[in-house]
Amino acid sequence: MNCIEINNLSKIFNPNTKKAVAALNDFNLSIPNGTIFGLLGPNGAGKTTLIKILLGITYASTGDAKILGEDILNYKVKRKVGYLPESHKYPPYLTGEQVLKFYAKLSGYSHSELDKRIEHLLKQVKMNKWKNTKVKAYSKGMMQRLGLAQAMVNDPELIFLDEPTDGVDPIGRKEIRDILFELKNEGKSIFLNSHLLSEVEMVTDRVAILDKGVLLKEGTVEELTTDKEIYNFEFENFVNANIDLYKEQFSIIGHKGSKLTVTVNDTRELNKLLDRFRNDGVLIKSVVPQKNTLEDMFISLIKESEENK
Amino acid sequence: MKNILILTQFTLREAFSRKIFIMFSGVTLFILAVAALIFSFVSVDDFQGMVNVNGSQLEIFDKIVEVLKLVIVVPLFGIGIFLAIFSTSSFIPHMLEKGSIDLLLSKPVSRSQVILGKYFGGIAVVFINIAFLILGSWFLIGIKFGNWDPSFLLTIPTIVFAFAELYSLLILIGIITQSSVLAMMLTYLIYFIISPILSYRDNIFSFIESKTTEYILETLYYVLPKTQDLSTINSELAAGGSVPDWMPVILAFTFIILTIATSITIFSKKDY
Repeated sequence: MNCIEINNLSKIFNPNTKKAVAALNDFNLSIPNGTIFGLLGPNGAGKTTLIKILLGITYASTGDAKILGEDILNYKVKRKVGYLPESHKYPPYLTGEQVLKFYAKLSGYSHSELDKRIEHLLKQVKMNKWKNTKVKAYSKGMMQRLGLAQAMVNDPELIFLDEPTDGVDPIGRKEIRDILFELKNEGKSIFLNSHLLSEVEMVTDRVAILDKGVLLKEGTVEELTTDKEIYNFEFENFVNANIDLYKEQFSIIGHKGSKLTVTVNDTRELNKLLDRFRNDGVLIKSVVPQKNTLEDMFISLIKESEENK
Repeated sequence: MKNILILTQFTLREAFSRKIFIMFSGVTLFILAVAALIFSFVSVDDFQGMVNVNGSQLEIFDKIVEVLKLVIVVPLFGIGIFLAIFSTSSFIPHMLEKGSIDLLLSKPVSRSQVILGKYFGGIAVVFINIAFLILGSWFLIGIKFGNWDPSFLLTIPTIVFAFAELYSLLILIGIITQSSVLAMMLTYLIYFIISPILSYRDNIFSFIESKTTEYILETLYYVLPKTQDLSTINSELAAGGSVPDWMPVILAFTFIILTIATSITIFSKKDY
């Protein structure tokens, strides 16, 4: 079952005016249950708008979507959803503990063990020492930790996190990553919006790239970062003199000693090259598809998208 | 219903934290202290003695108490509502601030529940404070003059009802403009200027012989809050009388229903 299903979703702000902006354009996406899903995109790509539509904070112009099998227009489904907004403002006169109590009650979480759960969450986000301090005295990082606890307070099945590590120090980021893994192990689904691509790469199972409201690519981090057309070879006995012969038939883009980088059109061509090596008695030590970082892939994809427009 | 109750409690807490209760209590205690001070200079026996000379002791004594009640209630209606608008005008704009509204709407709460929670919360804030002031005055008058007429307490719902009418307007303006200053100014304009003028429209008609103006003023009277008329009803009740005309009450109630319904409709359609 999918925790999120989005069908042909579009959002145009200020429609029928000169200021009309298409924030989302015919967007389709399905996210399986129990996944940590990362949504990436430059500023203004439509990431926050998408989350807001899914949570009923903003309305879609066309299309429909379901979360946890329910139409997003049914506000009651949000009992099973947690949300950490990008910029969150808590009543400054409440303490951290009171903030969690208020949002738990509002989320319909009236469990008899609410106090215990709040205590546990505050410990989990390392805020138990500050639970009786008013949130107006909290730093950005502390607010973010409290925000994460707030997003988990109703024991949700699906959690939306918009820039969860914003303003958090490296140790705090590691702790947040650990919490995300814990949640995943508990079977929760997590929808993550982040600019920190290296972090997304570390925690997510699936990733989508969004630019100007259009979904550019979607898949596992492995799928997106593996360049299937470029392969790195390492040999035991590659003879330099043979290289020109290979260059006539194959697209060799790099050669250094016993290492060779080749671009192939498809798997058939790759096998043809391997056959050729074997026929020539070349001993292959390793063949590795070239891997990019998520950042490399993201930048090249966005550049490509810009050039195509 | 549960959500409305949670939001109502939350609004009360917000009012408490913003020192609204302290401000109201300060004003209340000041008014009660002034009244107590004045009462300390007044001897009930003197009145009765004076009344005995004239021969109609009871009626005149009651009249004096009635005037005292009016002296408290009439300015209280004005000051109380002025303070109430001032204190509650920021509830909606604060709620609509980026970061607050996102969180609120991400919870399993319908938008109508949000508006109703804020509405009842604001009314609860004013009710508690007005009740404190009126009950305090009632006790003072009762202790001093032995007059425990409960009809004086009817001014609590009257003042709160007049505020409820203006607060519904405050919410509507707040949702449209997201500005507490603008919401407050427009509400004051209606309360202090337009409503009193419209209440005396019959006198204006005698000076202006334009049918169009007459029609416009008459329409505005029926469309806009009738706080001046509610003030008159309040004074009648404080003096132990009854409601002279129910029409302003019915129109005010209709105004509240329509304004809150419009607020919910606009709020339900807005993107945040």
